[in-house]
Amino acid sequence: MSSLEQQLQRLGQVLEYPPEPDVAPAVLVRLDRRPFPWRVVAVALAVLAVAVGAVFTVPQARTTILKWFHLRGVTVERVETLPPAVEPGQLGRPLSRDEAERAVGFELALPPGTKPGRVYVVDGALASVALREEGGPLLLSEYRAVDFALLKKSATAQTVIEPVLVNGEPGLWLEGGPHTLTYFNRRGEFRQRTVLIRGNVLLWTDGPLTLRLEGRLTKAQALDIARVIR
Amino acid sequence: MVDRPLDDAELVERAKRGDLRAWETIVRGYQGLAFRTAYLLSGSAADAEEAVQDGFVKAYRALGRFRRGSPLRPWLLRIVSNEARNRRRSAGRRDALALRVAAADRPGDAVPSPEAALLSGESRARLLGAVNGLSEEHRLTIACRYFLELSEEETAAALGVRRGTVKSRLARALARLREELDEEEGE
Repeated sequence: MSSLEQQLQRLGQVLEYPPEPDVAPAVLVRLDRRPFPWRVVAVALAVLAVAVGAVFTVPQARTTILKWFHLRGVTVERVETLPPAVEPGQLGRPLSRDEAERAVGFELALPPGTKPGRVYVVDGALASVALREEGGPLLLSEYRAVDFALLKKSATAQTVIEPVLVNGEPGLWLEGGPHTLTYFNRRGEFRQRTVLIRGNVLLWTDGPLTLRLEGRLTKAQALDIARVIR
Repeated sequence: MVDRPLDDAELVERAKRGDLRAWETIVRGYQGLAFRTAYLLSGSAADAEEAVQDGFVKAYRALGRFRRGSPLRPWLLRIVSNEARNRRRSAGRRDALALRVAAADRPGDAVPSPEAALLSGESRARLLGAVNGLSEEHRLTIACRYFLELSEEETAAALGVRRGTVKSRLARALARLREELDEEEGE
């Protein structure tokens, strides 16, 4: 190696780089949300079977909404077929906790002892943190509930939807088949995005916030975690 | 129980079977280098972070196409770098990232070796100025090969070019730097 090449290497050792972020929690949550292709195929076939069944049994009413569940800032609707949805991608813009709290305008509620390296923010309204629990990666999302529904979930009969209480406040537990999550932006403009969710989900309110916990959890495990989130 | 660290090949085999903990070990092992590479290529810390996150998600999904026994590092760098270059392109960013020397040198440099001392202060600033003055493709080739200390194969993967192209770009970039530094010295 020439002297110039050696000098370049030495220069490389003192160059300034931004602090290196830890992307592992977000990578794990995203991978856990979207299983291997063979499972996607299996789920797609199951969804197709339900859709085909619906077409043959109630052709006029295959998008009929069968029942609504409301929680502040969220609507959950029971439908016969899921709306078209894409696989979830990025969790949001990666920010430090301070930056994220400034962007969304509230302090994050977190399990005790959690120090998130990164908080993912969508549209200055919805903040998500990738958590690591014994069972695997979890995604905790929260936002300040507003007058209109910011999130809408659609679920077929394959998904159990059950009202629950978390620290005395109302919540909903969704378990079983895949369901979709539609996000509307803060100004209520028609800029929605519908993603397919396969994990179980607990939704609940805590003071001014509406929270959402997603992952491979049983109802009891989700409730245990939710109760200590402050 | 495993009482020794698993090597990349074992971790990849486990990850292929759906073991996310194995993949987490790989992510933590390579995310630093992946981030620095993506930062040089995209010119933005936020883009670099997203490129690294997307890159590791995509790489996991592409593990079925990873050839057993081939080196993991260039394969990962190729995927992450591709994400970083796409982000830079879609952001329409054309201005070159100006590399800077850290305000406080790393702790290891507290007692500089005689060699390192030779490359301090003025001469370091001159060399960095000359590198920043190179064309984009020459500057990035120098940055990958010498600043990040990637091999020629890894540099080719990061830049999305063939190894032969890396060799010729390096030769031309080094010649250009020598000219530049000689000219300055002669002034």
